[in-house]
Amino acid sequence: MGKRVGIVGAAVTPFKAKWYEKTYYELSQMATADALADAGMEPDEVDAAFYGIYNDIFQRTCIPEHPLQGIIGLQNKFGLRVSNGGATGAYAMSAAHAYIAAGRFKTALVLGVEKATDCFDFMSMSATPEVIKTIGWSGDSFYEQKLGWTAADSYAEVVLAYMDEHPDDLKPEVTAEISALLSEQARTNEYAQRQFDQVTPEEVLNSRTVVYPFKELEICVYTEGAAALVMAEEETAKEISRRTGQPVAWITGLGEANEHSFAGKNHKIMSRIISHHLAAHRAYEMAGITDPLKAVDVVEVHDAFVHQLEITMAEMGFVPRGQADKLIEEGLILPGGELLLNPCGGLIYSGHAVGASNIMSAWSARNELIKRKLKTGLVHGTGSTVAQYGAVMIMECD
Amino acid sequence: MSKKVIPQEAIPDQGGFTVKIEGKEYLVMNDAMFTFYQRSMGEFSDFFLTLRDERKILGCRCTSCGIVRVPPFALRCPECNFAPTEIMEMADTGTMIATPPITYFANSLFQKQVPFGRGRILLKGADTALSINCYTTRGILVPGLINKGTEMKVIFQDERIGDITDIFCVPAAELTAEQLGKKGLLSSELDWERAVEPQLPDETGENKALFESALGELEALAAELNDCARARQDIADWQRVIQIKATGGSFILQIKGEQLAIKPGVEPHPDFTIVCPDLKVLLDGLGYRGSLTQAIMKRALWISKNSEFTTIFKLERMARSLARSKK
Ligand SMILES: [Zn+2]
Repeated sequence: MGKRVGIVGAAVTPFKAKWYEKTYYELSQMATADALADAGMEPDEVDAAFYGIYNDIFQRTCIPEHPLQGIIGLQNKFGLRVSNGGATGAYAMSAAHAYIAAGRFKTALVLGVEKATDCFDFMSMSATPEVIKTIGWSGDSFYEQKLGWTAADSYAEVVLAYMDEHPDDLKPEVTAEISALLSEQARTNEYAQRQFDQVTPEEVLNSRTVVYPFKELEICVYTEGAAALVMAEEETAKEISRRTGQPVAWITGLGEANEHSFAGKNHKIMSRIISHHLAAHRAYEMAGITDPLKAVDVVEVHDAFVHQLEITMAEMGFVPRGQADKLIEEGLILPGGELLLNPCGGLIYSGHAVGASNIMSAWSARNELIKRKLKTGLVHGTGSTVAQYGAVMIMECD
Repeated sequence: MSKKVIPQEAIPDQGGFTVKIEGKEYLVMNDAMFTFYQRSMGEFSDFFLTLRDERKILGCRCTSCGIVRVPPFALRCPECNFAPTEIMEMADTGTMIATPPITYFANSLFQKQVPFGRGRILLKGADTALSINCYTTRGILVPGLINKGTEMKVIFQDERIGDITDIFCVPAAELTAEQLGKKGLLSSELDWERAVEPQLPDETGENKALFESALGELEALAAELNDCARARQDIADWQRVIQIKATGGSFILQIKGEQLAIKPGVEPHPDFTIVCPDLKVLLDGLGYRGSLTQAIMKRALWISKNSEFTTIFKLERMARSLARSKK
């Protein structure tokens, strides 16, 4: 399994609907400087950079990471960009872990950044349709893009297929209550795009349908921002921890899976998100977790859509498949429940700065472990068409 | 003029502007990344040429395990150590593998098609499903019309270019036996006007009085909308004659010259028909107290043509504009 690796520093920039004041260069500097400061380090002490940047079109350039190497102070060092759809950040963390665990580097910076709303639709004179169109280039280019493929309609395919199998689950009142709960949790995340955008379940229920079955207030919002982590191998991590006085968040489990993008026999099973199931159970095996609900204290799940969040929680084994509404109905994620779910407000209220999102989630999970003196956190990322990609990371504080 | 790959109105003028934040100016530039292609369809050429020229759908069958993939996206079977596959002609009917999503608010490239369904049809004899747009010939597409297992027929566009959009599908139950049996059925051979209007209860003194009162409110609201510059902008360059039928009476709603006009009577050839059992639903939608889209989805409002959702969308925008300008 290689060397032990831990997270010793983390930071995020504010997630904003639009950063007129910064390009992705300075957003990268801001997150890097703050993450290094959190670890009590300077750029000199970092051996390698792992970039999580989802989409070249958002950044309006190919090889968007090349200017960053020097700008973040890592000239002449190793740099690798990861681009895995919505799961970009989670995969970037996984890659950094692997290199350090293999002994290639003592320390690494994981930097996610996305300038998601610079693109603009001149027909409706608004950004959102162009953001959706830009992501629309991610559908299968021969058989799907021109049918109006969007991230929302491809995830809706999975959700509706699940609802075909489990018609009594994912009740509208429950998805509305989860969205309202997340909006409440965002209140304490000063970096969240919608920190003070609290909604009631009624408002969620009455919000307009964007893509059936998703309502406007059940969908993550695209945002701009950066997030960074510093990872280190065991001895270095312990030394940094002594310096900063912050416990190391050890990465004890990782798992990933990418499904088939075409559906049918021996291919993608539409009613399942097998990628999330496999990623989580691979991570549990590595971390020695048999009962996730008992073992895990904080979950930061990638909530592209509330319905998908529920299915993901079932696939990851926190509730039975077909009974995901137990998250609310049995109070599992309600205040005082067994599980702290998306304390940052999730991507629905913090915002989805795609390449940075899962790294922001890891920042949040680590914060909660340290602040509340908890032991185990789980960070999840989902991406690509029909929730094809899944990546899960387990972190534990001593 | 031939159709361009990018709509003219999507292309911005050169230039920029500044945004002032906390006393400092930031420059914002109009810009584009554009790349044009002469993109080879390579091994998929047969599939697209056959769609275009022969109105047939091809799949491929693995010579080793026999799995039939549609579309033929892998011409060598990865399950069988890349054994070769054979191209075969598929049936043009099948079932939906799951309930298809319906897009109501699309990006600008697809706004004219909403609401549209996109799901996956498992053609008879196939093992994998083909992504396809789903429509109904009976008015607007609402949840519940097309579900998992619904039998569908693939329809071909009259004008085909060798693209996946050359085909779409409609529920087989909406077709005659003759249409169902015909191979390569064209869009123009379908009866798009055959939408079955919901029946309204007979006119009574009581419901007529309710209708008249709601109509009065609607006329007042229309006058308010016509006075609102922002709302007028939402129907700029739009012309429609809409027959509206409600319990207790009917009338004509005309959109013309940035004005809504309400006229009594029946129009012999309206652009489309709206049936609302309770006229209050339309009134609430235009008054921004409810959503017309949601009303259509819940079948509290019925429109005769799917393509006229654009008009509904414009009416909703007017409602929102009036509400916002009142704030
Ligand atoms: Zn085979």
